[in-house]
Amino acid sequence: MTTLVLVSHPHLADSTSQQFLKASLPANEDIIWEHIESQPTLDVAKEQDQLRHADRIILQFPLYWYAAPAGLKQWEDTVLTRTFVYGDHRYPLADKELGIVVTTGMPGKAFQRGGAEQITLDAALAPLAAVAERAKMTWLPIFAIHQFAYLEEPEKLQLVVDYQRYLTQEQPDSLGDRQTWFAERLPEMIKQLPPEQQATGRLIEAEFAQQKDDIDALADTLSLIKEQEDD
Amino acid sequence: MTEHAQWLQLQIDKLAEQQGKFTDRAFWLALAELVREQERRSDQLRGEVDGRTWRPDRW
Repeated sequence: MTTLVLVSHPHLADSTSQQFLKASLPANEDIIWEHIESQPTLDVAKEQDQLRHADRIILQFPLYWYAAPAGLKQWEDTVLTRTFVYGDHRYPLADKELGIVVTTGMPGKAFQRGGAEQITLDAALAPLAAVAERAKMTWLPIFAIHQFAYLEEPEKLQLVVDYQRYLTQEQPDSLGDRQTWFAERLPEMIKQLPPEQQATGRLIEAEFAQQKDDIDALADTLSLIKEQEDD
Repeated sequence: MTEHAQWLQLQIDKLAEQQGKFTDRAFWLALAELVREQERRSDQLRGEVDGRTWRPDRW
């Protein structure tokens, strides 16, 4: 899967959350990362090519006044031309996934009716969802990072992998898809371990696979029982 | 949690601790969390199989 990550931030170097996310990008994956505001001029043909080539497109930005920064809007207005998105009834972005990684200074609970912000992120970012709809893209559930500065180390460790999975894991985010994501990456992770740790790594991999098989077998048994109950 | 599951958790946690790179440690710790989820799901599925098999009305 090719994932295109388009980051919009007016002062990227000063943003600890954006620097953290950049350092968390999964290695050995087909990921194109671009900072919109760093482009001297937007090369429309190149931007559109990148979009055509990607399977999943991620728009990543801090929330400014319940919207993306101006740089992203400028990118949309320049790159997403009518002819490109739906002109001539060709839809080059159809069936691609559009994901949003948004950072906020307020806690998650603020983004609901009755909360401090009185608006959900789904509602605030509805214009982006409308673009996805118009382009016949699949909208992924928003990946929100609230109050990054307050996260403790265990939460940051969790964020690394949650973010990587949002960029590269099959959706929906089910136990089955999570298991597949880890199973696919385990051999490479084991190979990177120092020699004295590799045996433990392989043992963990085998146990993990066994647990997965057990769950599959139990699920099969259960559907058989349910079928018989229906008879 | 069974003794075996506890042992597996310990192995993964130990491996995670030994990783110098933050993103590598994150991977192994997230795997440990997923293994806990597998354990819960297995228990729940086993419970449901038992519950549905226990049908006195069909004795």
